[in-house]
Amino acid sequence: MIELQDVSRVYHRGADEIHALEHVSLQIGRGRFAALMGPSGSGKSTLLNILAGLDRPTSGSVRVAGVSLNELSEDELAAFRARHVGFVFQFFNLIPVLDACQNVELPLLLTHLRKAERRERAQTALRVVGLAERGAHRPGELSGGEQQRVAIARAIVTDPEIVVADEPTGDLDARNAVEILGLLRDLCREFQKTVVMVTHDPRGEKFVDEIHQLDKGVLRHSAAQREAAAR
Amino acid sequence: MKFLPLVWRNLARNPLRTALTAGAIGLAIALVCLLLTMPNGLDVLLERAASNTRIVVHNEAGLVYPLPYAYLQKIRSLPGVVGAASWSWYGGVFEIEKGVTFPNFAVEPEPIGTVWADWGIDAKQLEDFRRYRDGAIVGGATLKRQGWKVGDRITLKGTLYPVDLQFRIVAEIPNDRAPFLLFQREYLDQALRAAGRGGLDTLGIVYVRVDDPARVAPVMAQIDTMFKNSEAQTASETEKSYFSSFFSMLSGFVTIILIVTGLVALCIVFIAANTASMSVRERLGEIAVLKALGFKRRLIFTTLVAEAVILSGLGGALGALASLGLTQLLHARASSWNSSLGPLGSFIVTETILVQGLFLALFVGMISGVVPALGAARRSVAETLREVF
Repeated sequence: MIELQDVSRVYHRGADEIHALEHVSLQIGRGRFAALMGPSGSGKSTLLNILAGLDRPTSGSVRVAGVSLNELSEDELAAFRARHVGFVFQFFNLIPVLDACQNVELPLLLTHLRKAERRERAQTALRVVGLAERGAHRPGELSGGEQQRVAIARAIVTDPEIVVADEPTGDLDARNAVEILGLLRDLCREFQKTVVMVTHDPRGEKFVDEIHQLDKGVLRHSAAQREAAAR
Repeated sequence: MKFLPLVWRNLARNPLRTALTAGAIGLAIALVCLLLTMPNGLDVLLERAASNTRIVVHNEAGLVYPLPYAYLQKIRSLPGVVGAASWSWYGGVFEIEKGVTFPNFAVEPEPIGTVWADWGIDAKQLEDFRRYRDGAIVGGATLKRQGWKVGDRITLKGTLYPVDLQFRIVAEIPNDRAPFLLFQREYLDQALRAAGRGGLDTLGIVYVRVDDPARVAPVMAQIDTMFKNSEAQTASETEKSYFSSFFSMLSGFVTIILIVTGLVALCIVFIAANTASMSVRERLGEIAVLKALGFKRRLIFTTLVAEAVILSGLGGALGALASLGLTQLLHARASSWNSSLGPLGSFIVTETILVQGLFLALFVGMISGVVPALGAARRSVAETLREVF
């Protein structure tokens, strides 16, 4: 599902070169729940952005859902994201002037679906995350955990193969964090989604299938969950 | 169309800012629409004020220089001339300490009804004006303003001549455009003689009425040729041209106003652009999220420009309609010159001006929205997400 070969990413800040990723090779299979872990500045978010088609590698190849992202233009990358990738952010990033249902419906505006169908799918996605009754509420009227559920509903409403989540529990209390991790795991189990999550949260280890450890832009270790737990 | 609700919600995000920006744009567009009525309004005013068969004859050196009184008789004898009357400035003031004044002229009473047939002065009142040496014809506007009526007696204090004159008001000019007081030239002449200052042997200007508009140009040429080698050469012009020379003094003013209007419009572009860019800057994170969800650059650009255009278009429409309503209201109260509103009733926002105002508003919206929208659309998603979150 996700294949990265010898991926490097270098940023230029003035005269300085920042090596965010160095020669990272990685494979994540379909329906797997993978965690990218490591200290701050280790390149986790950069790696997530590259495999989600938000950023381009300086070198190396990226192949996701059978598509080589290196060859796509900006507009093609946008179309790729709309079709294949769902996003969950740390701070939920819902549009405050839209209600929960309209937020979930946003990615469907890019499809050819009619308004009634869009609305129906948005309500279905809200049902999946357990917020069917909160569709008319604006983000400001929802708790942090509820907002993150709405964000997850938005991420899955187009039925993408991949869901990427950047610190999805970073702004939540312990109870909500566990619920969100459980929900992401259910997406893998029940809907065969490939979920890639950047996290600092050690509780995440219990939910994921595999963990990829990064440090200073280098992939140090990849392991299945049992192996990781034993370490 | 399916993105319109999103655009609309974003406009309603900060209602006060949206209302203030739309209000500023609306005010500027209303101002532009009102000013665009000026050239046409002045033309209308000129058309109404001037007759196409009246000629004004004055000293070629300028309006302040007199002409010999003998010229009047010579002009009257020309073929095609049906009437001619001289106007001589008296310069009388009603209440000098309060500065109450209005134009007042000494005229011959006989040709008034012929030369200014279009004024529609009552025949009986005209007869009284001819009969009474101290009779005065007063414009409707001045009568209203001073609270006078036919039959009242008033005294004007001479400022140009050392004689004060008492008048009985015998007639009214039923026309708000004519604020004058006209009285018999002979009355002033006799008063001056009585005061030992000699008679009145000059005139200020001569109004001539010809029988056919086609003869206006030949008669003007004849008059000027007749006095070409005399002590005071004349300059004849149509009444319309005479009035337009007054209005031409305004045209420079109009040009300045139009330049100022252009600058105001430019300021509004900057204000609208500032609002658009503040609005975009506040939502950089949201815009990055939309891009992450798959919104293409062109779509982001279009929705942001649409926001600016809708905001500006709404403000502009309100401003243009307000200017239309205002001019219609003024026109309903006074279709031409009015004692309290002056010429304001003549300035009408036409459909063309309305459309021009709307297009200007849409153009302002587009210009103001393009730069911030372009910046937001071209910004890298990953970079924005990293910076904002």
